[in-house]
Amino acid sequence: MARRADEEYDYLFKVVLIGDSGVGKSNLLSRFTRNEFCLESKSTIGVEFATRTLQVEGRTVKAQIWDTAGQERYRAITSAYYRGALGALLVYDVTKPTTFENVSRWLKELRDHADSNIVIMLIGNKTDLKHLRAVATEDAQGYAEKEGLSFIETSALEATNVEKSFQTILAEIYRIISKKSLSSDEPGPASIKEGKTLVVGGSEENTKKPCCSSS
Amino acid sequence: MAKKRIDDYEPGPVPPPAPLDRFGFVKRELSYSHDGSMKERSAYEYEREERRVRKWRKMIGVGGSDWTYYVKRKPHVVKRRIRKGIPDCLRGLIWQLISGSRDLLLMNPGVYEQLVIYETSASELDIIRDISRTFPSHVFFRQRHGPGQRSLYNVLKAYSVFDREVGYVQGMGFLAGLMLLYMSEEDAFWLLVALLKGAVHAPMEGLYLVGLPLVQQYLFQFDNLAREYLPKLGEHFTQEMINPSMYASQWFITVFSYSFPFHLALRIWDVFLYEGVQIVFKVGLALLKYCHDDLIKLPFEKLIYALRNFPEDAMDPDTLLPMAYSIKVSKRLEELKQDYEKKNQKLVQSTEFNEKQQQSQERFLSSKRS
Repeated sequence: MARRADEEYDYLFKVVLIGDSGVGKSNLLSRFTRNEFCLESKSTIGVEFATRTLQVEGRTVKAQIWDTAGQERYRAITSAYYRGALGALLVYDVTKPTTFENVSRWLKELRDHADSNIVIMLIGNKTDLKHLRAVATEDAQGYAEKEGLSFIETSALEATNVEKSFQTILAEIYRIISKKSLSSDEPGPASIKEGKTLVVGGSEENTKKPCCSSS
Repeated sequence: MAKKRIDDYEPGPVPPPAPLDRFGFVKRELSYSHDGSMKERSAYEYEREERRVRKWRKMIGVGGSDWTYYVKRKPHVVKRRIRKGIPDCLRGLIWQLISGSRDLLLMNPGVYEQLVIYETSASELDIIRDISRTFPSHVFFRQRHGPGQRSLYNVLKAYSVFDREVGYVQGMGFLAGLMLLYMSEEDAFWLLVALLKGAVHAPMEGLYLVGLPLVQQYLFQFDNLAREYLPKLGEHFTQEMINPSMYASQWFITVFSYSFPFHLALRIWDVFLYEGVQIVFKVGLALLKYCHDDLIKLPFEKLIYALRNFPEDAMDPDTLLPMAYSIKVSKRLEELKQDYEKKNQKLVQSTEFNEKQQQSQERFLSSKRS
């Protein structure tokens, strides 16, 4: 029984963390998976990886999160990790307008490389820096609505809304998955205990992986 | 001396004194220290180190004057001694001699100053953003706007002007940071040039060019080498859907300086600068070999974790490096490079690229010579 939380899960969801360099992606990840925040963190080179198993809508979900280097040139490596991801957390820094302006470029990047039905959540991070805020909540909210993204503001430093942001996107993914499996002849996803990624079918790019199978 | 953005700020407070290891990194408890020795070094070891320094001094002559002659006459002795590790007090000098960067410096007086002071770079803000995120636990780089951070900024900015095609890319800071712990700004700049432009070995700027072409090539080569050298592990990687970009990109992009124990990174750099990038492949293969029996049992997530957090005993240079030296890769590396190029048909493109770049850098070099 002691091993349960670690080893067993009903679903495995792959999620990518993207956004400009320095917006706090790695600290969002460490806050979510280890409840840690590192003031002296190094810039991410390539990709990093972490997981956490948690309860979502009464199911045990393992979130497998890929944290990517933000600098544009690294997309040559990181965009390969969008493939098969069910969710994307697109992060900007509320104190740096350019990181918000670049959100549309990241969306294009997802459209080019990710599965078409990927769930995207826009995250405005660093709300603890109140006196430096330069992107209004309403602007980001409005943009997210226009683009059909969910939206939340977080502070990885103060641990504000970090849990909620991951919970929300995982729940949204779960709703899509469970709808899919109802309309499919595949065995129910609840039986899946092993495997790397649970892939939502329907995308032309995933020919070798049927709907809701493990890979 | 220079008017730079970063100079507009007062240096931040000096961080409170913390226990440092012998390389200047803040000691972390419950984890390996960067000098890798929990115990004090014995008197015997000090004596041995002193004997080695004397040998090395004799070999290089005053200020490196005998070096070229010695290398020509006894290349194997030099290679053997470098593989045993360059004495720390001579490292900065030797690195410049074996990399060809000293010659570049002498041939281009004043160029560095010009790049730092008079030119502006489109990458300045990107560089500033990463400065405090490069070796943040090292005493030299910890202080906000302190001398370490300023030097790092200057070197990276100068390079981003010197080669605007490459500009600044994350990861370069770790190369420059490592160099700055052993030499002056200007020396570090030319060492960066020597490596990326290929003064002695093949140029490595492809690690940072658009598309990261050399990273992709190295990962392709490493993947194939690993599969040939350790077929059972290769099979396991396939089953678990592991590929080298998940764990080895940093090895190549920063030549092991990003997350490896510092004393090991230095030993690898000694050999890297003399023998070239092959040592990165060899060390990578040696790590996989050393941990083979454990790795082969692990499922995907634990496997990734293990590949990013090798145990302390695997990171001991005196175990790992001899193992690495015994692995022969040069012939296969060349063949795999050709396979890769055939696969990607990038030959034509890259030649055009190089020509264009050369023109842009000659602007600086020739203007100073004339």
